[in-house]
Amino acid sequence: MIIENILNASAELFTISTVILMMVGVTAGLIAGAIPGFTFAMAVVLVLPFTFSMTPVQGLATMIGVYVGGLSGGLMSGILTGIPGTPSSVATTFDGFPMARKGQPGLALGIGVWSSFFGGVISAIVLVLVAPQLALVGLEFQPWDFFSLVLFALTVTASLAGDQLLKGLISGLLGLLAATIGTDVIFGLPRFTFGQSGLESGFSFLPVLIGLFAFSQLLSDTRDTEAARKPLSADEEAVVKIEHRKAAILVLKRWGNLIRSSIIGIFVGILPAAGSSISNILAYDQAKKASKTPEKFGTGIEDGIIAPESANNATAGGTLIVMMALGIPGDIVTAIMLGALLIHDVVPSPSFIEDQPIIAYSIFIAFFVANFLMLGLQSITLRGFVLITKVRMYMLAAVILFYCAIGVFALGNITFDIWTLFIFGVLGFALKMMGFPIVPMILGVVLGTIAEKNLSQALAITTDLAPFFTRPWSLFFITLGAFSIFYPSYQKQRSEKTWTLAFIPLFLMALAPSIFMMEGVIRPVVAVGFLLGGLYLLAKRKQRGWVLESPSMVPDHPSDRE
Amino acid sequence: MHINRDAIVAIVLLIGCGLFINESFAIKEATFGQMSSALWPRIILAPLTLLSLIFFVKSLFQERSEGEQKGGFVGWLKYYKNPIFVFGFFAIFVATLPFFGMLVGGVLFVFLTLSYFGGWDSRSLFLHGLIACATVGFMWSVFTFALGVILPQGELFYGVIKGI
Repeated sequence: MIIENILNASAELFTISTVILMMVGVTAGLIAGAIPGFTFAMAVVLVLPFTFSMTPVQGLATMIGVYVGGLSGGLMSGILTGIPGTPSSVATTFDGFPMARKGQPGLALGIGVWSSFFGGVISAIVLVLVAPQLALVGLEFQPWDFFSLVLFALTVTASLAGDQLLKGLISGLLGLLAATIGTDVIFGLPRFTFGQSGLESGFSFLPVLIGLFAFSQLLSDTRDTEAARKPLSADEEAVVKIEHRKAAILVLKRWGNLIRSSIIGIFVGILPAAGSSISNILAYDQAKKASKTPEKFGTGIEDGIIAPESANNATAGGTLIVMMALGIPGDIVTAIMLGALLIHDVVPSPSFIEDQPIIAYSIFIAFFVANFLMLGLQSITLRGFVLITKVRMYMLAAVILFYCAIGVFALGNITFDIWTLFIFGVLGFALKMMGFPIVPMILGVVLGTIAEKNLSQALAITTDLAPFFTRPWSLFFITLGAFSIFYPSYQKQRSEKTWTLAFIPLFLMALAPSIFMMEGVIRPVVAVGFLLGGLYLLAKRKQRGWVLESPSMVPDHPSDRE
Repeated sequence: MHINRDAIVAIVLLIGCGLFINESFAIKEATFGQMSSALWPRIILAPLTLLSLIFFVKSLFQERSEGEQKGGFVGWLKYYKNPIFVFGFFAIFVATLPFFGMLVGGVLFVFLTLSYFGGWDSRSLFLHGLIACATVGFMWSVFTFALGVILPQGELFYGVIKGI
């Protein structure tokens, strides 16, 4: 069955046109990722209008190409200029740039490229192995569980806004509210139209997303006239030759760091909204802690490039696992992919891999192949990157703004969609300027309909609210959501307040009841492990006299950087 | 205690919540099913109103927000001049789309935006005109001929055709 699915998907994927589209996607992603301020998420957003005329497999393969390319593209500017192209490669600059400055830019780039490649490949293998298994778990979900999962996704997204938790929650609720405008998804009744007939069909999801994310970002980039008039990168580096052979051997020799960082990347990717902007720094931090020579980090050592680059590419596999297994987007890129699937009337759900095996396995293979394409195309795009950096920001912004309009119109042939783009562009820009994170709002818009549908189904079965707290998965997600609200305070006060020492043990113990209620033998055993682990940690910390630990290096506001 | 930027945002949010809560009573009730069409929006509006209220109270006791512009309304206008102009150009472009169409309207929009940022000297105008024609023309061609999208042609186009 699996082999049959792989063969069928390969037949669909390995056509000349699809491979060319993937190559174009990877190249575009590499260049977009390399331009400071122009994130790969924006590149995936901008590719979307082109995909509506493609088959679902072609569209998704192109997007995955952009995604993988974009994750790796950031290392070029990070290593050569010291300015990370995307937030995913912030930690790469810590050692990549010093190594380039020491006269080894080719080796630094090589290590970055090969680490990205291996991280991506490890993540692709995990994706293929884990997604179908997680989808089986997803089949256990009932409406109450899905509703709680959506709540958890929103609270964790808001909590990633760090100090701005309140603004993050408001942003998420605004997204949910925006999704209610138009026609009620259950009965088809008009809602919040304020007497305007144009609003009866509601706001299309994709113009809203492009407006909130891409449009508002471009406006932010051009707020300062002087900055907008400058070339994208002031440094005009000469084209360097990537030292592939030496770099590949060096990366493989440090396989422990490579695997640990890739696992960190995958795990972070699975968490809703926690993308590669977090994983690269976490992996760097862990590599430093595990190193025998931590004092050398920051001076241009190999491990300092391997950790962030393998982690950020591995994150993509993690985000795809959740989208494919549960039908829930964990970040902007998977939200866009979900939108692309919906354009083709394909609705991701826990039965997605079973119902749409060709599309699902095409995603697996495309993700795998995209990493190889990235490896081959990196050297070529390095030249393109040098040329692109000479373009001025305002020129790029003006052209892309028009492209947003034409692209949004093309999605549905409706002029109102361009107005939607404009309205949400203004809203997104205003919120951003007021310090509200945008990502919770985007996820709110995407998840609003899913939440309402599941709540309606749950209430249709019974008006009793108890199942939200008595069903194991629902309770599990509610517990996670509740702890995620307190996570920013925990993170901020970790090395200052004593209560933070009890946070993780209590978290483990709180999760235990819901896991214990789950079917089978393994999960109840895991629950007992959680309970005992929590008790052990509490006892240990009490024995130590509640002594505070040293702080770790984790970014404060990562959710908006992607 | 003073009214700062966050307080104004909170007030706007609270007014918005009030409008939406009021409008939620105008939503028709379905005669079947368990969940009213107004229930889910109200479930959202209740915490949104509460959080906006907390945000308002919190903002009253906080120092001037980070990045908050001094110089009152004029200072604010000056600080956000570029986005305001570009939003204006874009709004005009969309509003005049039925007349100019996507091609001509797009060229004008890109040209205006480029010139606003890049300057109005003859060399820049020539360069901006060239970029606007080339990029918009390219995108228009791709969407029209390669993707088969029927883009708005505009009354101007029809007028020219009629004239010919």
